[in-house]
Amino acid sequence: MTKQLDLLDIQGNLVRAYGRFGYPLARYVFLAVHHPAAGRALVGDLTRYVTGSLDWGTDPGQMPRPDWTLNLAFTYPGLAQLGLPTASLMSFSPEFAAGMRERRDILGDTGSSAPQHWDPIWRKHRDTQDVHVFVSLNAVSPEALAKGYTKLQSIVETYGDGAQILGGNVGDDGELLDYQDAHALVENGQVVAKEHFGYTDGISDPVFEGMPPSAQSTKGRGKPMPGSTWAPLATGEFLLGHPDEAHEYPPGPKPGLLARNGSYLIYRKLHQNVGTFEAYLEQQGRAYPGGKELLAAKFAGRWRDNGAPLARAPDAASKQRFDAEFSAALKAGDMAKVDDLLSDFDYNQDMSGAKCPFSAHIRRCNPRGSLQMIHEPGDLPGSLKQSVDAFDTPGALSNRRRMLRRGLPYGQVKDRSRDDGNHGIVIMLVNADINRQFEFVQQQWMNYGNDFKAGNDKDILLGNHSEDPTQPSKAVLQTDPAGHDAPHFLPRIPRFVETRGGDYFFVPSLTALRMIAAGVIDPT
Amino acid sequence: MPANVSGRAYALTALSPIREGWTSDGIAYADVVRDRLQGWNTEPNSPMTGVPNTYLCRFFVLDDVYHQSLPGAGVLDTLSDLLPVLPNALRKSVLPAEDHLKSRYLVFSSELHGGVDGDVDAYLRGMWGAIESRIREVWGWCHGFEQVTDGAGFAAYIRKCQLPAALFFNGSNDDPLAEQLKALYLKQEFTRFAVDSQGLDAATLRRRMAEFMQRVDPPNIAGPTWSPGRYRL
Repeated sequence: MTKQLDLLDIQGNLVRAYGRFGYPLARYVFLAVHHPAAGRALVGDLTRYVTGSLDWGTDPGQMPRPDWTLNLAFTYPGLAQLGLPTASLMSFSPEFAAGMRERRDILGDTGSSAPQHWDPIWRKHRDTQDVHVFVSLNAVSPEALAKGYTKLQSIVETYGDGAQILGGNVGDDGELLDYQDAHALVENGQVVAKEHFGYTDGISDPVFEGMPPSAQSTKGRGKPMPGSTWAPLATGEFLLGHPDEAHEYPPGPKPGLLARNGSYLIYRKLHQNVGTFEAYLEQQGRAYPGGKELLAAKFAGRWRDNGAPLARAPDAASKQRFDAEFSAALKAGDMAKVDDLLSDFDYNQDMSGAKCPFSAHIRRCNPRGSLQMIHEPGDLPGSLKQSVDAFDTPGALSNRRRMLRRGLPYGQVKDRSRDDGNHGIVIMLVNADINRQFEFVQQQWMNYGNDFKAGNDKDILLGNHSEDPTQPSKAVLQTDPAGHDAPHFLPRIPRFVETRGGDYFFVPSLTALRMIAAGVIDPT
Repeated sequence: MPANVSGRAYALTALSPIREGWTSDGIAYADVVRDRLQGWNTEPNSPMTGVPNTYLCRFFVLDDVYHQSLPGAGVLDTLSDLLPVLPNALRKSVLPAEDHLKSRYLVFSSELHGGVDGDVDAYLRGMWGAIESRIREVWGWCHGFEQVTDGAGFAAYIRKCQLPAALFFNGSNDDPLAEQLKALYLKQEFTRFAVDSQGLDAATLRRRMAEFMQRVDPPNIAGPTWSPGRYRL
């Protein structure tokens, strides 16, 4: 990569998911600003602790690794409260200004995911008590997390009634807390990259131009190019102030310095109905040729235990071979190889969905150049192939729909037969354009299936499946059109995941943070 | 390719001038028409779902044309730009004059199954037969509409208001609409059947399939079938 970014200016949570870099604990804290001047001074104080994007280490161009990291973001009401000029406020995207709650019909946050079921802090937000500032803490250990939180509390306290930490985050046993904790899951004393349904998570985060040297390979993460090769995505898909995939600067707030090196972040607390998931998998697994674990893999597009992609390991035999290679690479410490095994694949040899179903979660989130599909008269019934003439590059339909994923699971599952425990994921998505990237994927690819030739069918894992028994959700698990197996139907899919709150945030650069604190944002 | 036709789709476009004047409430007739059309959005289904053979249709009230004030690419415009020595009066005289419509118009565009052999008059007579009162409530104040008393009159009136559509979006294939509706019905019913029959033994499946085929009666286009305006089974 030849592009250089000003890594000191970009907040660290934009370029890396701390959870994968040795920070298994997180605490998400939400503040309200009561007096604008106090709020600006508070932002100034907190900015001194904000973690940038430099790689950690002792080489030149690196910084020492902190025990805890801090990053700041703001809601639209927050920026208004901090005194940004009206012309700047109006230049943010309309969906950011509206907020996630107002966009619930687009996002499918209906029924059990509707705002009336959200944590009190989010029910009150954009209603009686706005969230203004989001302080995200990540830490290497509980002691480090306590240090970071105590530091934050002491800074906020100096402002008296000028600012406060907001309560109303639902914790274990329903108590309300002043923060939302999240943490990597632990199995047999080891931190694992798993979530509560048992899937390995956090694989294949996008790679863009200018990421720090420690960023992972582009294979399977960048944009697909002809010949099954990969290139980094344009910086402007994820950071404002840089050219995007359309070779334009993404629309951003004015003045330019407010936008540059910043981004939008979508925070969503997602409750997981573990009991419902286990029961459905068990019941459907009994009827599924290939068994329960293969079926679980079909839901996600990856096998639960080690994240092996179905595109490479579509059945038990190929999974065994994958596992052997995977374990060998792990044992040898060859992390580049481990990475490639997990991420370096596309769906070019799986255009009919026989290996990874069209409604599997990872295929819906990131189709990897497989949307340019065509069926011509004379082709095998039910088969699809790549349309090579229609578009410029294989990724033309999906390159501008990518998002960076941040966040960690929260809570603990005490009883896998129940839904009502405190357990889920706090997912944060980072993109330059909330509507084009997040909202599009959520509405068109998660909760609808037309682009995948799947009608109204939703993403099996994350879709807002119908709660009306007369109009049940379903999914189809495709099979090889040249073979003799019938496609398998998943009937009456229940909702596995429910929204419990969140909003859209703006993550400024450090320059912008200092300017907001100084009150010198001027769009003229 | 003749105007208005693409395959068997026919694009009917009619502009009917709305009379100037206002109701006793002091609302212009054109504004009342627009208000009524916007009210159609709040009904469970458009009144046009009752009109046979309609694929897509659109109504709006056209207030006026937009004026593009910058000079075009005519020779005099270009010359006057290139030769600043030309007198100002000449430069001003080549700017396009503002054009305006003499009336506000009710615009009705409908894409129907018809094509070159299609019977647009039959379509319009059918429309009158299905939704006469809705037609009156939006066309009632249009010039010349007072002469319309029946379906044939309505068809003749719309033909007088018709403009050719040279290019249009054809939202359908060329199969007859009744066949498309039956196909849609069969697809929905069969999907449900396939999902519900998964895992049955061969004998039961064969029996259920026979019952299914008898119930949905595939060769019978007239019914059972999908009703226009329906969203789902």
